[in-house]
Amino acid sequence: MSPNEQTPAAPPRSLAEALRTRDDASLARLLRARPDLLGPVPNDLTQLATRAGTRASVIRALDRLDRFTQQVAQALAVTPEPTAYATLRGLLPGDGTEEALPRAVARLREQALAWGADDQLRLVRTARELLSPAPQHPSPTGLGPTVAEATSGMSPGRVQEIVAAAGLASTHDPVSAVAALTELFTTPDRMSALLDEAPAEAVDVLNRLVWGPPYGQVTAQPAAHLRWLLDRGLLVPTTPGTVVLPREVALHLRGGRAHRELEPLAPAVRERTAHRPQVVDATAAAQAHTALDTVEELLKDWDEGGPAVLRAGGLSVRDLKRTATALDTTEQTAAFWVELAYAAGLLASDGEADERYAATPAYDEWVELPPAERWTRLVVPWLTATRTSGLVGGRDGKDRTLSALGPHLDRSAAPEVRHRILALLAALPEGTEPEPESLTARLTWERPPVTHHRPSSEGAARPFDSPAALDLRTRLARWTLAEAELLGVTGRGALAAHGRALLPTPGETGANGAGAPEASVAAARAEKLLSPLLPDPLDHVLLQADLTAVAPGPLERPLADALAVLADVESKGGATVYRFTPGSVRRALDAGRTASDLHTFLTAHSRTPVPQPLTYLIDDVARRHGHLRIGAASAYVRCDDDAVLGEIMADKRAAPLRLRRLAPTVLAAQADPGTLLEGLRSMGFAPAAETPEGDVLITRAHAHRTPPRTAPEPVPDGPPLPDGTLLDAAIRAIRAGDTAATTPRKQAPAANGELPRTTPADTLATMQAAVMTGDTLWIGYVNAEGAASQRVIAPIRVEGGFVTAYDHTADEVRTYPLHRVTGVAELSDQ
Amino acid sequence: MNGPLIVQSDKTLLLEVDHEQADACRRAIAPFAELERAPEHIHTYRLTPLGLWNARAAGHDAEQVVDALVEFSRYPVPHALLVDIAETMDRYGRLTLSKHPAHGLVLTTTDRPVLEEILRSKRVQPLVGARIDADTVAVHPSERGQIKQTLLKLGWPAEDLAGYVDGEAHAIDLAEDGWSLRPYQKQAVEGFWHGGSGVVVLPCGAGKTLVGAGAMAEAKATTLILVTNTVSARQWKHELVKRTSLTEDEIGEYSGTKKEIRPVTIATYQVLTTKRKGVYPHLELFDSRDWGLVIYDEVHLLPAPVFKFTADLQARRRLGLTATLVREDGRESDVFSLIGPKRFDAPWKEIEAQGYIAPADCVEVRVNLTDSERLAYATAEAEEKYRFCATTATKRKVTEALVRKHKGEQTLVIGQYIDQLDELGAHLDAPVIKGETTNAVREKLFDAFREGEISVLVVSKVANFSIDLPEATVAIQVSGTFGSRQEEAQRLGRVLRPKADGHEARFYSVVARDTIDQDFAAHRQRFLAEQGYAYRIVDADDLLAES
Repeated sequence: MSPNEQTPAAPPRSLAEALRTRDDASLARLLRARPDLLGPVPNDLTQLATRAGTRASVIRALDRLDRFTQQVAQALAVTPEPTAYATLRGLLPGDGTEEALPRAVARLREQALAWGADDQLRLVRTARELLSPAPQHPSPTGLGPTVAEATSGMSPGRVQEIVAAAGLASTHDPVSAVAALTELFTTPDRMSALLDEAPAEAVDVLNRLVWGPPYGQVTAQPAAHLRWLLDRGLLVPTTPGTVVLPREVALHLRGGRAHRELEPLAPAVRERTAHRPQVVDATAAAQAHTALDTVEELLKDWDEGGPAVLRAGGLSVRDLKRTATALDTTEQTAAFWVELAYAAGLLASDGEADERYAATPAYDEWVELPPAERWTRLVVPWLTATRTSGLVGGRDGKDRTLSALGPHLDRSAAPEVRHRILALLAALPEGTEPEPESLTARLTWERPPVTHHRPSSEGAARPFDSPAALDLRTRLARWTLAEAELLGVTGRGALAAHGRALLPTPGETGANGAGAPEASVAAARAEKLLSPLLPDPLDHVLLQADLTAVAPGPLERPLADALAVLADVESKGGATVYRFTPGSVRRALDAGRTASDLHTFLTAHSRTPVPQPLTYLIDDVARRHGHLRIGAASAYVRCDDDAVLGEIMADKRAAPLRLRRLAPTVLAAQADPGTLLEGLRSMGFAPAAETPEGDVLITRAHAHRTPPRTAPEPVPDGPPLPDGTLLDAAIRAIRAGDTAATTPRKQAPAANGELPRTTPADTLATMQAAVMTGDTLWIGYVNAEGAASQRVIAPIRVEGGFVTAYDHTADEVRTYPLHRVTGVAELSDQ
Repeated sequence: MNGPLIVQSDKTLLLEVDHEQADACRRAIAPFAELERAPEHIHTYRLTPLGLWNARAAGHDAEQVVDALVEFSRYPVPHALLVDIAETMDRYGRLTLSKHPAHGLVLTTTDRPVLEEILRSKRVQPLVGARIDADTVAVHPSERGQIKQTLLKLGWPAEDLAGYVDGEAHAIDLAEDGWSLRPYQKQAVEGFWHGGSGVVVLPCGAGKTLVGAGAMAEAKATTLILVTNTVSARQWKHELVKRTSLTEDEIGEYSGTKKEIRPVTIATYQVLTTKRKGVYPHLELFDSRDWGLVIYDEVHLLPAPVFKFTADLQARRRLGLTATLVREDGRESDVFSLIGPKRFDAPWKEIEAQGYIAPADCVEVRVNLTDSERLAYATAEAEEKYRFCATTATKRKVTEALVRKHKGEQTLVIGQYIDQLDELGAHLDAPVIKGETTNAVREKLFDAFREGEISVLVVSKVANFSIDLPEATVAIQVSGTFGSRQEEAQRLGRVLRPKADGHEARFYSVVARDTIDQDFAAHRQRFLAEQGYAYRIVDADDLLAES
């Protein structure tokens, strides 16, 4: 069921109906192009149509169109609805449109941005609103409103004046007057005749406005030539001081073109140089090898304590600089390598309290892989990563520096741009190095930078909408080219065979749809192509009498590791130059190699005889290595008579002291001096302790003393001890309480066990009097839960609506809110 | 993809010498790459901006350079390096110095922004005069050397098309009766003459004087020759009289003792740099005649004041001669920018292979300090340490043993410290030549040594350079000027004159083990080791036991 077969049937009346006529494959294409329509899956086609008409979705879809299709949509928006194909064709004249226009219209229909048959094309309403000219958002076409729109707010009398000035017969209502005016402006012959009469300055004004923006400023008393234009409706006032050139007039002056420059065809990617494909592959392979070396070097450099993680995340500028120096490259390139290793999962933050970056366990696996596989493990994550190392060092929308490995480096466009660049390169003949500008021009055509104006609320939702970000795709494209070269995907600017293999073959689905299995198939294909191009590791070096060793190619890993310890690297690249120094030889000896080990190692791996100065160097360093020995001991025993020491050593009871004979007259012990003394005494010796200066330590005279110390402050458990006043009060209260319990109250209410009740004023007065006298009171009290109780208290202080008192009932100092006290009674003195 | 060359990303080139294409490759890269090290298996060349610009000056373009690298490289050449070469070479020639009929010396550009850039530099401003038009600016003629040096440092080397003055003509011819210039000497002369000015690097004993004579015969003009000392001046004179059509009367000596100015004048650096009351009174020598050629012998010793005078001499042809263009002060680049680029360089081992210098056996004799010496060494002041270990008594015994071993051969004992040399002279019963020895006595002793009347001569550093002692076959170095690489090479040079019977020369360096003497020795030997002289190490104890 294709849309064409539907034409005999009734034409669709809405987008939903238009969608209903489409077959499944066609709907699938729509959903693939606009995946946002699927979240959540719509219930029916009406809902799908509604969602396809929402503003956010339409903007997203429009932004993703190529330049010509956007221009077609813009042209549709300036024609009255529905638009006939021929009208549209007329707005877009020029070569190439002939074949490009049907494609573009089909694309708009497929993406549900336009619908209807060829004779009545309609843009989706939201798209029309977005694209049609309005004072708030000028159209990219530079056209203004129609005569009808521009004159809508004008008084009928003024409209009639204009009609008359334009040489038309007056009509009885403004609508027909505007229609007549519109007809005049859209009839080329009459329009030309009208304009022929125009003063020269007036023509200049029109020419200035014709390609947009169509608005101009006028004074309250316009000059004669402006007057002439305003009188005839060739300029229409909008707001005071502003005039607009009506769309029909502009189109006439433009010769019917909606756009000044039309780009119906994608600009071709131009060739800069054609290299021999073998040269390209070999150069790229060499660079791929360098890339592997660089990543390995980077992580080896971080083996012992990588750089710290910034509080906000990422690598500090200083650490990046240091890394760049270590890798002998620029900071930008160093940032790329760091991000590459991060994207490939080879490095991460260790998550410790003192957070640092370090290689992941995956790195140890990666290092053991064959080189070609190691390469794909780097390149495949690079292709799909959204993190963009090119941004490092720049600033984000909030003027924060973007740091490598830090936040805010994700750009969702990155993977798509990378795929697209590689695909464009793949479309060129093998070995072709393109002109980078033509490549970015093509990319810009395929998805022009977002230019149409949006209300500020939507701008806020796009934090990276800065002028620099407008050109993000071009910048991404440049970075992609540079990074592809660094990775050895390209060589001399042309795509290498193993780079080409990374892309899905034409049979497979597009870049966005490439699933995991397809990616791994592509990776395997690339590996197979790359692996024969990588140099075979060598098992030998050339030793020279100037104490250097040259490895004329990559070395086998064990050999390279051993040499890296034994000698310093002087120069890197295809070959490696090592220099032997006393320091480097000592390093090898420290690592547990012996001199004879090293001699054997060098003899085994040298193509040439080992030069004598090198042999001497190793022997010389080895002779002195370990000449001085250092260890830890807790105590020592010395004795001029070595027979006694021999005796101690032979005694089994000395074993726990862990003694070792350092010299005939010295024993070193792992036990501390006190234990040693005790131990030796128990064995029947009479040892004396020694000071660090070697004097005998006299224990009695120098009893052990601390430096001056203060006695500890007591830490009481419970409240501080009450002072005398309080105590007196307490005791009196206790007695009084006791009395209260046993003797009858003065007042009647107390006698029958009810709470005392007094007015708040009385309560306060009694309380204050009790503070002065130190009397004990009997109060009724209601707690927060509403439970009533009777308490015997000796008030200490009354302030701020609270009474602080010694509570005899609870036996502690408490604070009661006065408003909770129901009443108060003095206890009888007995 | 199996060439002899490995191009490293740090711009060094490694050349495998045993490869069948090695010679072709060497010829292809020699015009633009500097030979840095030439040990036995892999020679190291370096690409420097200076080298690339010199190649441009000699008429090579970036394409040739890239082609040479790509053709001989074993691995693909890093793309970035090729781009860098093209960019570097492209910087040369944007600026040219030339003679303008009306304005004299002018600097012109083909790239206006470059001229704007360099004119903004504070260092260039005092050197230039009025702006003549958008692309041209006048240059003070006296600043020709300065501006070239400054522009080089700014990275925009100027092509000097202003040419040279011919100088006062004077007939000089080589008197090739029974001898002729060796092929490499001819190449050196041609290379120099073609380039106009520059430095020729030849090993000691390879006949640099004859290259000078050859250049004079090309120039056929009055010549000023600058040498290190009076003895050397006399040797130049002697050699010139013997090898050219010049007579004794045409050659003047300008030194501490004589102040002759003749068509060919030989002056010492010392007299030129003598300062009296804040001025250099002998500087007028440069202007006293219209010299057509200035020759700097042992250019690696060029004293700093002479650099400045040389900057003013840019209109005259300049030839620098040296065996070892390594300066411990790192001013090699000043030599290149003021005298001229390296026009000819021959690895020592190559000249040796051609038989023009004697093969040499270099031996480092390691002496153990006695226990008491070790203690004394350990407690010596830092500045006394080298002197202490370099003059240890054990060295004397070893030196005596070596002299005994080579009895009957002409032997030089060379050292740094006079008391050590005096003591050695007394023990060996040999005359000592040191700074205070008068020139007359020096020459007498050297003559006696040449004639074989004396077989052992003890010399201080006065004999480091330019002393021609063809018959010396054994040199024993007991101490030196710390870690000076060129001194070591010059001292070896004393015994490198080809021997009549073709036998090997011996060079002993006596070094105290486990002291800074050994560290300095390692540094001193670096130049020679890089030239392919493999030092053998011998234990002094073995040597003493032998004798």
